[in-house]
Amino acid sequence: MKLLIVEDEQTLSDSIVSYLQQKDFICDRADGYTSALEKIDLFDYDCILLDINLQDGNGLELLKELKTNRKTDGVLIISARNSLEDKVTGLQLGADDYLAKPFHLSELGARVTAIIRRRNSAGNNLIHLEEIHIDTQARAVTVNDRPLDLTRKEYQLLLYFAYNKGRVVSKNAIAEHLWSDETGGAANYDFIYTHIKNLRRKLVDAGSPDYIHSVYGMGYKFAL
Amino acid sequence: MKLFTKYSRVNIIASILALLLGSIGYYFVIRSVLLHQLDDTLKIEEAEILSFVKTHDRLPEPANYRDQKIEFLPAQSPVPRKFINTTRLDEHHQEDRLYRELLFSVMAEGRLYTVSVSMSEEETEDLLEWIMLITAAMILLLLGCLFLANRLLLRRIWQPFYGTLEAMRQFNLSSRKPLPARDSGIEEFRNLDTAVEQMTGKILKDYEMLKNFTDNASHEMQTPLAIINSKLDLMIQDQGLGEGHLRQLQAMYDAVGRLSKLNQSLLLLTKIENNQFEHTDPVALASLIEEKLVLFEDLIKARGLTVDTRLDNGNLRMNTYLADILLNNLLINAIRHNQHEGEITIRLSENDLSISNTGLALPFDPATIFDRFTKGSHSDGTGLGLAIVKQICDNYGFPLSYARQGDWHTFRIGLPLRHLSPASIA
Repeated sequence: MKLLIVEDEQTLSDSIVSYLQQKDFICDRADGYTSALEKIDLFDYDCILLDINLQDGNGLELLKELKTNRKTDGVLIISARNSLEDKVTGLQLGADDYLAKPFHLSELGARVTAIIRRRNSAGNNLIHLEEIHIDTQARAVTVNDRPLDLTRKEYQLLLYFAYNKGRVVSKNAIAEHLWSDETGGAANYDFIYTHIKNLRRKLVDAGSPDYIHSVYGMGYKFAL
Repeated sequence: MKLFTKYSRVNIIASILALLLGSIGYYFVIRSVLLHQLDDTLKIEEAEILSFVKTHDRLPEPANYRDQKIEFLPAQSPVPRKFINTTRLDEHHQEDRLYRELLFSVMAEGRLYTVSVSMSEEETEDLLEWIMLITAAMILLLLGCLFLANRLLLRRIWQPFYGTLEAMRQFNLSSRKPLPARDSGIEEFRNLDTAVEQMTGKILKDYEMLKNFTDNASHEMQTPLAIINSKLDLMIQDQGLGEGHLRQLQAMYDAVGRLSKLNQSLLLLTKIENNQFEHTDPVALASLIEEKLVLFEDLIKARGLTVDTRLDNGNLRMNTYLADILLNNLLINAIRHNQHEGEITIRLSENDLSISNTGLALPFDPATIFDRFTKGSHSDGTGLGLAIVKQICDNYGFPLSYARQGDWHTFRIGLPLRHLSPASIA
């Protein structure tokens, strides 16, 4: 999968590239409006991570460029401004999603993966994790072909792990993902523990090995 | 009172006064002119009599017509020539009539006579009456036309003014352009329009600067936080970290999260204060509350809380985003500051939203509950949640209150819930 990261903050784009490269994404970088314009004219990308606050131009203009050239690259807007207007304008101009800074890299990874899945042909709704099969269209999970009954939050959690498999995901990131940070601040993570516990039990009871590992005090890792 | 009314009133009173004074003067002038004319006629008679006496040296025949009398009276001494007004009996109508009389002396046949030539002023009076009547009619006609013309013309002339007034009423900060000056052909209105255009232009510019400030402040503050967060995300992937390391990293994560949330809340508060959320929609509060309860069901279950709701259907016209934040903050508050196995009660009715929760007494003065950064020491919130709720309520004029009764904390908001029409429920 080919990605373009349009971000003028060098350290941040380093982090993003680091994280995503490990997930077998090929990452191109653009540190400004002009360089981004060049790249999107020359190549096609599966997903473009677009920071709209660029030093030398407004990232939203790039969206218009993509539209005029009838390109089908997916776009995830990342923005520090967290402005409702930007979000609405961005989505109206054809962006697939909007993520406000600061975000967890695991959240970024999950959103990028989701965008790529949606953009690709309709057949690609299935995620295979050894014994576990997830149908994202039907929102159904099977283990060894036997259906698994998960609550909404448990399903979201499993999907999140699937998108970030092999990586340590912090409790903070999980909390933000499940409750879109509505709880605010450093929340009590006991309920995350409960969900994880339930999810693990259901998976194991259905015959799958326990892929969810606790990373002490930090979070969890879904490793096959 | 309306300008038109005042203007008309002044106009009419002034007109009436002027016309009244004019009429009175007019009356006296005409009267004097007519009398003068009468006098001239008498003088002509006098001249004829004198010439007759001179020619024939005897008196002419006296005349006694209804409106003209010539009499000759023997006199002892000459009488000074003069004009006088007298009344005589009109035999025909049996009433006294006013006569204009000219008295003078004449010598005829060696004897002195006092001649009296008099003419009835009746015709004069009639003429005067007619003149005044016509004048009065003309005055009324004039006033009537003036009044109508004022009414029609003024309304039309003031159109540009009312136009500008209406445009000013409709003006709001979300429009991108200042109010344009229209060319109305009337200098004062053009000046008004130009001044309004400049003023609205300045307002929009100031507002843009303010919005840019809050947006840019957000960017500047969030970017370093984003960098820290991303580095932490990468660090925790390292297999070689020990427990101690991970504990430190967790603490860093938490701190960055808090800082970020604080930053966002402060900026939100500023934006709300600056009325940067102008757009409104009818918000179905009941369903929004129920959505939130589903979203937070884990937190509710984790604390063993029971939630009791009684929600009326209805719409509240406000900004959807702000409605979301309002309910969010109040509900999270009710959950977070509750006790284990506690209760939450939500009542939504036509005029009122109340959210109550059980919990310990406030560790601070209840009067400061809506102040910024007021919070209990054990609370891990930003301290801005209720301040934001208050700001939103203030913006819309909803009265917000807090009360404590026994174990219960209750927040009440007065709001006008419009009921859904049957058609829209279906």
